[in-house]
Amino acid sequence: MATDPGLERIQRWMQACILKQGTYEEAITSEVAAKAIPAGEAREMVLPSKTLTASERLDIYRDMYLLRMEEALGIDYPGLKHFLGEDGFLGLVARYVDVHPSRTYTLNRLGDHLPEFAGTLDDLSKKEFCQELARLELALTLVFDAPESKPLSEDAVRAVPAEAWETAMLKPIEAFRLLAFNYPVSRYLGAVDGENPFPRIARKKTWVAAYRRNYNSQRMDLSEPAFELLSAIAAGAPLGAAIEGILTRKWRPPVTGRQLFQWFRDWMAEGLFQAVELVLQPEVVAGPRREPESAAGAGEGS
Amino acid sequence: MANRWGYPDLGFGIGLRSVHFEYILKNLPQIDWFEILSENYMDTGGRPLHVLDQVAERYPVVLHGVSLSVGSTDPINFEYLKKLKALALRIKAHWISDHLCWTGVAGLNTHDLLPMPYTDEALRHVIARVKAIQEVLERPIALENASTYLEFSASTWAESEFLATVAEEADCGILLDVNNVYVSAFNHGFDAKQYIDRIPQDRVVQMHLAGHTNKGTHILDTHSDYVIDTVWQLYRHAHRRLGGVATLLEWDANIPSFDVVHGEALKARQFREQEDEQRTPERNEVRAYGD
Repeated sequence: MATDPGLERIQRWMQACILKQGTYEEAITSEVAAKAIPAGEAREMVLPSKTLTASERLDIYRDMYLLRMEEALGIDYPGLKHFLGEDGFLGLVARYVDVHPSRTYTLNRLGDHLPEFAGTLDDLSKKEFCQELARLELALTLVFDAPESKPLSEDAVRAVPAEAWETAMLKPIEAFRLLAFNYPVSRYLGAVDGENPFPRIARKKTWVAAYRRNYNSQRMDLSEPAFELLSAIAAGAPLGAAIEGILTRKWRPPVTGRQLFQWFRDWMAEGLFQAVELVLQPEVVAGPRREPESAAGAGEGS
Repeated sequence: MANRWGYPDLGFGIGLRSVHFEYILKNLPQIDWFEILSENYMDTGGRPLHVLDQVAERYPVVLHGVSLSVGSTDPINFEYLKKLKALALRIKAHWISDHLCWTGVAGLNTHDLLPMPYTDEALRHVIARVKAIQEVLERPIALENASTYLEFSASTWAESEFLATVAEEADCGILLDVNNVYVSAFNHGFDAKQYIDRIPQDRVVQMHLAGHTNKGTHILDTHSDYVIDTVWQLYRHAHRRLGGVATLLEWDANIPSFDVVHGEALKARQFREQEDEQRTPERNEVRAYGD
């Protein structure tokens, strides 16, 4: 018998059945599905085919939903999937999308809440490690999709007068994130990619820069002072003050001037900065305020 | 027969997929055109967009989306349309297509091409939305027949008639997916050729071909294999009726090398030529009688 409760109710019912995990019966009797179409009426909603019952036909969509979510999240979280294994990761995905179903037209941001969600699961094996691994992988997807900003060119660096560097500020590219961890998650991800052996999963402070270079996401492992220096620079500290802040602290091993040059050489080579912002001298700027401006040719298009 | 908007027959293309990026940019292969999955390039400043810009400089491109959700009872997402329009302008897309389906409701998205109940209410709803969408995009869109795995008891229209009526009333184009016709015909037990014969000829701007997975009791539209012979015969039937229409091969899972995918797309040319060769003497004969 034809059943037409109207387009909106049909769609709300079918979606509720797809999102509800468990059996067909559990799906059509779930609160959201039954609110759209009562279970008795729902059994008449779908026609059987010659080879499949109505419930089997609906189950095709229900089964594919979870597989699709797993596929999308597996692309963004290959390290976490590797650590948990196929079944473990699918189980995590099922629980995750139950709480955080997609709310946008793009799957790119489906996994944005996965790190915090992993932190809520007390039965997750090595929860803190999983959460940190997910945090790193999320950062890598964010830098992958971030707006493009051209890295600082050699000419732009040369254009900055030597005396201006102390008060100059380096502006990081848009596709740049700094992260601190209690586990060696970057090394673990490197091992998944075949770059290095798998580390022991034990507490160990680590620091990482996630950024995009040549349109691909990259990781750079940092020492703690390098991380602190980059953090100060990213927060807008003048270079002189940022460097002084590092050199006046005690580090083991101590930070040398030579190391500082190596860091800056590497960071520039990796294109971590997009502009040098100079502070104009008081005699140049009208009034008492010191206003930053981008160095000529230091920003976009240089 | 040409479509009513004069959209060109671009020849034989394939879907642009990231596994082929490097090969394409390095070798610049001789291929007629590429179809781009719109959503993969709409919210990223990363490598895909960089590659797309280079591809669009060298090849004709067409945008194909999966998130328009034209049948949904949720409000139209104008933010999405704005980005879609900007992308189409950026890459000079020949046309924009999506599916006759809905993907979510109540603010959620299943990211699946869900089937419509083919009712009068749904028909009015889709026609109104297509008109509104086309107004924003400032161009006619093409709607593709999706593969479906269930039918609603509420339906009072055959899918082919529903699609044809939407196209006529909303004044939009049709992307005829020949494999989807076959898949849905198998799953629902209708006649695939009859389906194609009901599609208005002058509204078809593109055809799709793909492989699928036959599970015995039903077929899944997986885009994971070569096109089967029956679908090629159906394509030939469609070409007989529609004439030269831009044809694209989709391959989205277990994707082989670029050459294999392109080679599969080029088989369409052979089927077209075979069909045209068979038809030519008949035409001459008729012309002779007419004289």
